[in-house]
Amino acid sequence: MKSVVQRLEIHTGHDTELIDITPRVRDAVAAAGVSEGVAYVTTLHTTTGITVNEGLPDVEADVVGMLQRLAPTDSPSYSHARFLPSDGAMAVNSACHQRAALLGMQVAFPIEGGKLSLGGRQTIYFAELDGPLRRHYIVHVVGE
Amino acid sequence: MVIDIHTHLTGIVDFMSRDSELPRAVSGVFGYGDPAQPMSTFMAALDEAGIDRAVVLPIDCTTAHGCRVFSNDLIAEIVQAQPRLIGFASVDPNLSDAPEALERAVVDHGLRGLKLDPALQLFDIDDRELAFPVYGRCSELGIPLLIHCGLSWAPLGRSSRAQPLRLEAVVHEFPDLKVIIAHAGWPWVADALMLALKYPNVYLDTAVIYSGTPADSVRHVLADEIGLDVVRRSLHSKILYGSNAPRIRPKRGVAAVRALGLDPVLEGKILHDNAAALLGLEEMHR
Repeated sequence: MKSVVQRLEIHTGHDTELIDITPRVRDAVAAAGVSEGVAYVTTLHTTTGITVNEGLPDVEADVVGMLQRLAPTDSPSYSHARFLPSDGAMAVNSACHQRAALLGMQVAFPIEGGKLSLGGRQTIYFAELDGPLRRHYIVHVVGE
Repeated sequence: MVIDIHTHLTGIVDFMSRDSELPRAVSGVFGYGDPAQPMSTFMAALDEAGIDRAVVLPIDCTTAHGCRVFSNDLIAEIVQAQPRLIGFASVDPNLSDAPEALERAVVDHGLRGLKLDPALQLFDIDDRELAFPVYGRCSELGIPLLIHCGLSWAPLGRSSRAQPLRLEAVVHEFPDLKVIIAHAGWPWVADALMLALKYPNVYLDTAVIYSGTPADSVRHVLADEIGLDVVRRSLHSKILYGSNAPRIRPKRGVAAVRALGLDPVLEGKILHDNAAALLGLEEMHR
């Protein structure tokens, strides 16, 4: 059985955005040389998410709107709003962490015949929730 | 349009290899530990915040800590490559040639202001022998001084060296020297406020960080401690937006000022016009 881990870099451009990474995941799966198996797509951050949805701008806007409704940007109730000495910076992005928790940090898809088995309307998104930043995610392909 | 009067490039990976002392200066002296980002991300962060121009600040800690948190030469090189950035110089007041070093940075390298941090550089603000010649040269050169006052989050910083009241003799003796009290001097806001009210050459920046969100902190200082009526009546031309990036992300600093819900003209002065006038920038329209 093969296990191929590929670390991919992405430069986000906005505070909050859903970025279609489906072509890059497909390329990573193809490069792994696995015919039958599983691909795990995992973000390496706690204020980003990996999610799947229909690749339409209005759907993307509604997902962002949902996140902003469920986890408002500022609230006096948030505890994560203080100076973090290890960072040397203010840690004031509680809403971003909450939105990441709502979306999740990983998705997995089967690989059949060397290709990712996606539904016809499924798009894999890297969700930036506290950008713009340079970010990384992993495509881990396991199979034969 | 927005001008950020107070940013550091300490979170930028591009420059770490340019100066062998810089990684230690950033992590051990300045105290920044978040994963470094490329310069393109810094510029994207300005875009996201709607910031057109940003002042980038070095700190010369040669005597106190044996390093510079960015050199004047490197700042000059960076702003040459990024015209949206405005470079300030820093010199070490503990060194007798500091006035000459400042003049070289301004005349030869085109830097447009002076940054001092008495908490980190470990000098006395009201030291007539060491610091006053630097202020005098700064005044002669016609450039503003942005001076750290108040709480120093730098691990080696000594906030007791950065009490704004110690600027009183300075701003009295150098009436043509425009002095920006960084962080509004928190927690000594009343002292900083007194100076800004009395002296035409004293300004405050909004880079207030102690606890809570930037919106919490800016509101507490400007609305609760100073009072928005005082801001409107007496300080409308004396407060400058500053983020203190990377300790605060620029988008949050701008949002904190906008969250005050000020009259648009007053908000525009804080976010842009006051800094434009102080820096002698041409674009006075918003």
